[in-house]
Amino acid sequence: MTNYLAALTAVAALGAAACSAAEPPAQAPPVAAPAANAAGVSHYVQAAAGSQLNFSFMQAGAENQGEFKQFVTELGYEKENLAASSLQVTVQTGSFDTQDKDRNDTLAGADLLDPKKFPTARFTANSFAKGAKGIEAVGKLTLHGVTRDLKLPLDIKTTATGAVISGETVIKRLDYGVGQGDWKTTEWVGDEVKLQYKVALTRAAK
Amino acid sequence: MTFRNTTGSWGALSKALHWLIVLLIINQWIIAERAEALTGFAKLKALGYHKSFGMTILMLAIIRLVWRWMNPVPDLRAETKPWERLLAKISHVLLYGLIFAMPITGWLMSSAKTYSVSWFNLFAFPNLVGKNDGVYHLTHDLHELLFAALVIVAALHIAGALKHHFIDKNDVLKRMLPFGGVK
Repeated sequence: MTNYLAALTAVAALGAAACSAAEPPAQAPPVAAPAANAAGVSHYVQAAAGSQLNFSFMQAGAENQGEFKQFVTELGYEKENLAASSLQVTVQTGSFDTQDKDRNDTLAGADLLDPKKFPTARFTANSFAKGAKGIEAVGKLTLHGVTRDLKLPLDIKTTATGAVISGETVIKRLDYGVGQGDWKTTEWVGDEVKLQYKVALTRAAK
Repeated sequence: MTFRNTTGSWGALSKALHWLIVLLIINQWIIAERAEALTGFAKLKALGYHKSFGMTILMLAIIRLVWRWMNPVPDLRAETKPWERLLAKISHVLLYGLIFAMPITGWLMSSAKTYSVSWFNLFAFPNLVGKNDGVYHLTHDLHELLFAALVIVAALHIAGALKHHFIDKNDVLKRMLPFGGVK
């Protein structure tokens, strides 16, 4: 009887151990950042001012420009540990402005950016790498409900209290389904959208 | 029919420019009327064409004015009365002015609304002004007002041509017709 109980306790203990052992791998991606932190990656959060996220595209042969006014950026960076560096940017897609109400209304429509259905766009990179033109955040962009790989070139300048990251890249709107119906044609509105970004960050304790 | 103008008649290039601009203006009016009722993509496309044709008119107007300076202007008939000459002069000056003023006000209003003007999506013209709601509304109203003026002056121009042809029975109309020769 006691043997039986002891065996049962042992099995239960084993089970618990198995469960606890199974948990860390499931949490692996979020745990990776603090682990990297320990390896000396500094954490930065977006400063209250001084950041901009602009986009431009060709419409009827001429360049049109706009900006996103609300976005949140987090950066984990260490020059000597790019593999453990990380970047996350979350953009409120409805916060854009193209300087004209008609164009804003059109772009916010169901056939284009559709912020009602897709209120946020997110870029997440869990490692950086040296690319042809410098450092790139290697990650994924989720825009308009579509997730695709994207390497974001970054020019990173750090100071004792913060950092400024900037750069530009070109994405194709139709890759993300931005442009349904008539807007699928690229004859009037180009497929390529240039993104230009400059984000001011302050060093955070985390 | 000669390529250049003579003192008696318009040459082929002058005639071609005159009638091409007439057709383009009618086309512009039709596109603009239709675009009013459109939204979104269809409107973007219609106004894209309207602006491209408008810039075409402006370029043709420049060629036309330069060509006029390089060529003799056919004389009015000797019997034309001074008041007729004056009226013809005024209406011609106004018509030339309007074929420049229409595209330029359109170009200004597009610039002020940050919808740059291009030529059939091939290349863009520079913006004349930055974003400016005041300039946009002013030039938008002016664009419509000048079109009304163009309709009135063109009606006067047509009436004059018809008077020359049917009442005075001279060749002033015929010498501008595409295949109208002058005896």
